[in-house]
Amino acid sequence: MTSRLWSNPNARAAIKTLTWFPLLFFFLENGYSTATVQGRSMQPTFNPDSNKLSPDIVLLSHWGAIGHKFQRGEVVAMTSPHNPDLTITKRIIALEGDSVRPLPQSDQKSVVYVPKGHCWVEGDERFHSRDSNAFGTVPMGLINSKVVYILWPLSRFGKVEVKPNVERVSAGSVDSMRL
Amino acid sequence: CMGPSMLPTFNMDGDIVAIEHLSKRYKRLSVGDVVVCISPVNPGRAVCKRILGMEGDHVCEDPTLREVERKYIDVPEGHVWLSGDNLSNSNDSRTYGPVPYGLIRGRVFARVWPDPGWIANNFLPYTSYP
Repeated sequence: MTSRLWSNPNARAAIKTLTWFPLLFFFLENGYSTATVQGRSMQPTFNPDSNKLSPDIVLLSHWGAIGHKFQRGEVVAMTSPHNPDLTITKRIIALEGDSVRPLPQSDQKSVVYVPKGHCWVEGDERFHSRDSNAFGTVPMGLINSKVVYILWPLSRFGKVEVKPNVERVSAGSVDSMRL
Repeated sequence: CMGPSMLPTFNMDGDIVAIEHLSKRYKRLSVGDVVVCISPVNPGRAVCKRILGMEGDHVCEDPTLREVERKYIDVPEGHVWLSGDNLSNSNDSRTYGPVPYGLIRGRVFARVWPDPGWIANNFLPYTSYP
């Protein structure tokens, strides 16, 4: 019976196409994928014009996030600590071992020490962003991928810049005695 | 599984467990489930613990303390409270606080080796004592 299926050229073409699906799925899960950015929290980097009808489309890299090695100033996509169904895009401001001064409108302490395995994230638009100023440091295990390229609109096509913030962060080395 | 925090349910070393990912995706996890989640302290590591409180629950932070010293906490939205079965030697939510639900990777439903068997959720609903 299987040889009858194989002798039908249409069925053969269909089966040969289907064998690519697992590879494609693996690539999209673990390599690169695209996503649309909703909301204003990352203005002006994404969605700078709130009146536009089409939100930005960006390229996410999952490879880059697997090693958990991030730089200060990178934009990442992570699962929201308060709503596990939501993926949020924010910029990493501080890594483990650093001391951050939260923004004035947050109700955090005046200086926050980022513990091991955690990071401090903020949206570029400080007044429209629910970020670490609201919920504190987040574990790095929640980060899914790095946002590397803007794909749409074509006028802003290009790499997403890494913008470290040196004003409110004092970088420290991870000191095992303080953990 | 490695480490003494889930004795006697799991041995210190060498246990192989089976994990399913559907419960966490469809929000079917409940208090008493053994889960594997990414450690909040070290994102490269996975930890195996039992859920003691879901979001909104009022949990006792450290049951090993005496009655007068115990503190209670409300588990915040989107978080769970994890606890090892071996409370005398376990790094769990008593150390690192409530854990975001997004860090959970799956529910342990069976031990494959060395003593094959289902891992059940043995928690009973609370009934007040007479």
